[in-house]
Amino acid sequence: MTRRRVAITGLGIVSPYGGGVNAFFEHLLAGRSAVRLLHTEDRPRPLSMPFVSCTTFDAAAMLGKPLAGMMGRFAHLGVAAAFDAWDDAGLARQAPDPAEREQWACIWGTALGGILAFEKGYRDMWQNGRERLSPLSVLLGMNNAVNAHLSIQLGLGGVSMSHTVACASSTVAIGEAFHHVRDAKTPVAITGGSDATHAYGVAKAWEAMGLIAPGTCETAFMACRPFAANRAGLVLGEGGAAMVLEDWDHALARGARIHAEIVGYGTSCDRSHLVRPEADGQARALHAVLADAELSPNVIDYVNAHGTATVEGDPVEIAALRKVFGSRAAGLAVSATKSMHGHLLGAAGAIEALATVLALREGAIPPTAHLQGKLDPACEGVDHVFEGREGVPLKVALSSSFAFGGSNAVLAFRAASAS
Amino acid sequence: MHAMQSTELIRQFLHERLGVDPQLAVSSAHLADLGIDSLMLAELMFEVDERLGVAIESGMTAPKTVGDLVALIDTLQAAKVARA
Repeated sequence: MTRRRVAITGLGIVSPYGGGVNAFFEHLLAGRSAVRLLHTEDRPRPLSMPFVSCTTFDAAAMLGKPLAGMMGRFAHLGVAAAFDAWDDAGLARQAPDPAEREQWACIWGTALGGILAFEKGYRDMWQNGRERLSPLSVLLGMNNAVNAHLSIQLGLGGVSMSHTVACASSTVAIGEAFHHVRDAKTPVAITGGSDATHAYGVAKAWEAMGLIAPGTCETAFMACRPFAANRAGLVLGEGGAAMVLEDWDHALARGARIHAEIVGYGTSCDRSHLVRPEADGQARALHAVLADAELSPNVIDYVNAHGTATVEGDPVEIAALRKVFGSRAAGLAVSATKSMHGHLLGAAGAIEALATVLALREGAIPPTAHLQGKLDPACEGVDHVFEGREGVPLKVALSSSFAFGGSNAVLAFRAASAS
Repeated sequence: MHAMQSTELIRQFLHERLGVDPQLAVSSAHLADLGIDSLMLAELMFEVDERLGVAIESGMTAPKTVGDLVALIDTLQAAKVARA
């Protein structure tokens, strides 16, 4: 089978900080949290929890009213992020020659998809007494909405596929897109993930599991504390992140800027429990990504961890890293950027993959915020990044996602300068 | 409802949902040119139904212009009043 190198030529984001990918990374590097207290007077009970919102994002302004009106929130976030990545890649939104894009792909990840549209429908009918719903409800609610809109707007005629694998959704999407380009099925793929996690029922469901970190107006910003002894759970967030993956030679031929190279994708399943993670299963995903990338553990410089700040999850993840990296684990830089941008569920893998690519490109590692002086002894054994590091000659980095259901997925990236 | 009110409702929908300048919604304007495809026409008629309590019935000819749509809404309104 023909195998091609795969360049990342476009990065795009809708982040809670506002601005583009560079602003996003600057905030991460400075250790600034985007978590705030979300409080809504709702029925039957108010919703009040630390949360990450993209408050400055204006879908109508970004996408235009006609297009925005045909989408739900997760599609707004996703399509806007993807357009940002597409523009960054220097590709025209209107194909100069439609035939050229006949095989170009769109592979997206989302865990909740258009759930807000259906939640609105339930509210309208059961709370507000309406007897009919908008004819657009299905289109706003369908989980492949981002794929559909992107394929139409950008003229992509190849695979249009959406992946729903809980918190690993967009890691799987990016990995599948990577293999698609690497295996010469398409020269270009737009990929990433988006989720709008503030659906009332979703937030209440997570709250019911006892996994949401508590916080007040004053303390919400530091509610998510991965690997800390006093960690108290995760913080939900919304957003979208995208990247353009491109056949390396195709990218060079058109003079595209290459942010980094994507070199590996590995998956596994714990096959043991719905919510209790297993180090063995995660280790198999880590081994799988290294094998896929044909890399030794010795060359990995940095891992953007899944790091949700749950009591059970964090030590297991570090145990898996110790298992795979052995004596070298102590020198392996690890950080969990969820401490700042929250847990975007199906979009988590995409936004963390972006952070990883930017770390390689900039030679800088964002920290795990709120961890200094609070490290849980059960999470020791790796080089935790307490403060942003700059001027670090990074060559290869991993981004991990370990989802409920035991679905594990890991991506490997290499600095363009190291290629 | 008078034709003027129907026109105003259509213009409001076009502006709020599609960002179309209300002044473009003249009687002879084609709905397709204003961004009203079959999906958006279904959404517009849903809103008309919500606000006025009248619905397109199967078999009715789909309106092509703003004038056609105004006439259709007014016809449905008149029929509703006659039934009352």
